[in-house]
Amino acid sequence: MDFLVKLAEGFIGMFNEGGETFMGLFTGIVPTLLVLITFVNAVIRMVGEERIFKLAQKTTKFSVLRYSIFPVLAVFFLTNPMAYTFGKFLPEEQKPAFYDSAVSFVHPITGLFPHANPAELFVYMGVAAGITELGLSLGPLAMRFFLVGIIVILLRGLVTEYITKRMIKRREANA
Amino acid sequence: MSEYKAVKVSKGPNGWGGPLVIHPTDKKKYVVSVTGGGIHPVAEKIAEMTGATAIDGFTSKVENDEMVCAVIDCGGTARCGVYPKMNVLTINLTATPPSGPLMQFIKEHNFVSGVKEKNIEFAEGEAPTSTAATATEGKSAQELKTEARQKVAEMNQGKTKKKANILERIGRFMGGVVNIFYQAGRETVEQVIKNILPFMAFVSCLIGIITYTGIGDLIANVISPLAGNIVGLLIVSIICAIPILSPVLGPGAVISQVVGVLVGVEIGRGNIPPSLALPALFAINPQAGCDFVPVGLTLGEAKPETIEVGVPAVLISRQFTGPIAVVIAYICSFGLYS
Repeated sequence: MDFLVKLAEGFIGMFNEGGETFMGLFTGIVPTLLVLITFVNAVIRMVGEERIFKLAQKTTKFSVLRYSIFPVLAVFFLTNPMAYTFGKFLPEEQKPAFYDSAVSFVHPITGLFPHANPAELFVYMGVAAGITELGLSLGPLAMRFFLVGIIVILLRGLVTEYITKRMIKRREANA
Repeated sequence: MSEYKAVKVSKGPNGWGGPLVIHPTDKKKYVVSVTGGGIHPVAEKIAEMTGATAIDGFTSKVENDEMVCAVIDCGGTARCGVYPKMNVLTINLTATPPSGPLMQFIKEHNFVSGVKEKNIEFAEGEAPTSTAATATEGKSAQELKTEARQKVAEMNQGKTKKKANILERIGRFMGGVVNIFYQAGRETVEQVIKNILPFMAFVSCLIGIITYTGIGDLIANVISPLAGNIVGLLIVSIICAIPILSPVLGPGAVISQVVGVLVGVEIGRGNIPPSLALPALFAINPQAGCDFVPVGLTLGEAKPETIEVGVPAVLISRQFTGPIAVVIAYICSFGLYS
């Protein structure tokens, strides 16, 4: 009988532990998240899509901006997954590179701007929870994640554009 | 044969519902503008294009069965459900999804929101007839009546336009800003409930089981050697970026998120140094979006040939850029939390 009681206590204890974790996450993350996302969503609505379109199109000419500022604007203002519609501003051979670049930014952006990809927050938040557990501040990690993210998407864009162009050429040579 | 034309009204940016086809008849010939006094340009344009009459719903009463459509500017409380409930086609100038106490009556076939003037166009098969052609047609008594009514409406409109003083403009502007924030708040709460809370529950359950049962030690034995040093992280990133594996690991970033939580738990327990959090974030995620390449490219209006080339291009690129990203992040993590 004692064994059964212990088993039951152990079973429910596991979920009490989970419940506490949930409460911690809920009170620690959700309130700020709600207010922050509300604010950013309101700003996006006020700026309006058309102005973003105009601004974004200006950045597509130079490859350095095309795979840095351009996808950042796309992900920030249109969020995952509508950000990829910005590909329409680019010639065909650059579209795969833009997609690669933009999709690689939907996680690095969440440290500072969770509105851009609320369904996939825990790539960052999962790791960040450990930092919080140690009593360290999240600012440095979020900032570096964002900046390194920009370097990485630039690199991905350039590499993918190169590969795409070569593949198109090879295909044309074969045809 | 009526003198009325049909127009198609589509939703604007951030809008919802529609497109609606507005086709006035002799009985339903009033476009009612319920927009805080005056006739809104959208209502005016619909009236002009269809040949119906625009009426200010605040100053004159129109029977429901005489309205061909109602133009409103409701932020999602009462008005936007009232007209759909009364079976009147509703055009909302504010970009609102169905909401409010009457939201169950708001359907795509009777409601369209976020409408701007440019969202109104002639329905298919309806060419805009030139005014000259209409003028040469003989006018029936009915037409004369309508014309007279239109003239009266125009006169009223002139009056109301003058009335739009600075106070009213400020009021409208403030209303607009408040409305935007209200919408943004509604959207956010929905996102948090639909997307964030479920995952939070799942993660909490996972963490609860790990920390309570001691499976944590077992996982630590697997994860720490891999995620606890740069060589391990590189290996993880190379494996996750293999072109056959990456599309399988991608969907919803679920795997990245679970691994992220596991790494986080181990960082919290001190098994992984906190400075490695940055390279770890890239190591567990070189497959981001690899499952989504064709869809993403379609959203970017790419041609089928581009998609055919683009999918392998992205996957091959990841095999190189995945590990390189980890190295960059590792270099950039110097000085973090030390």
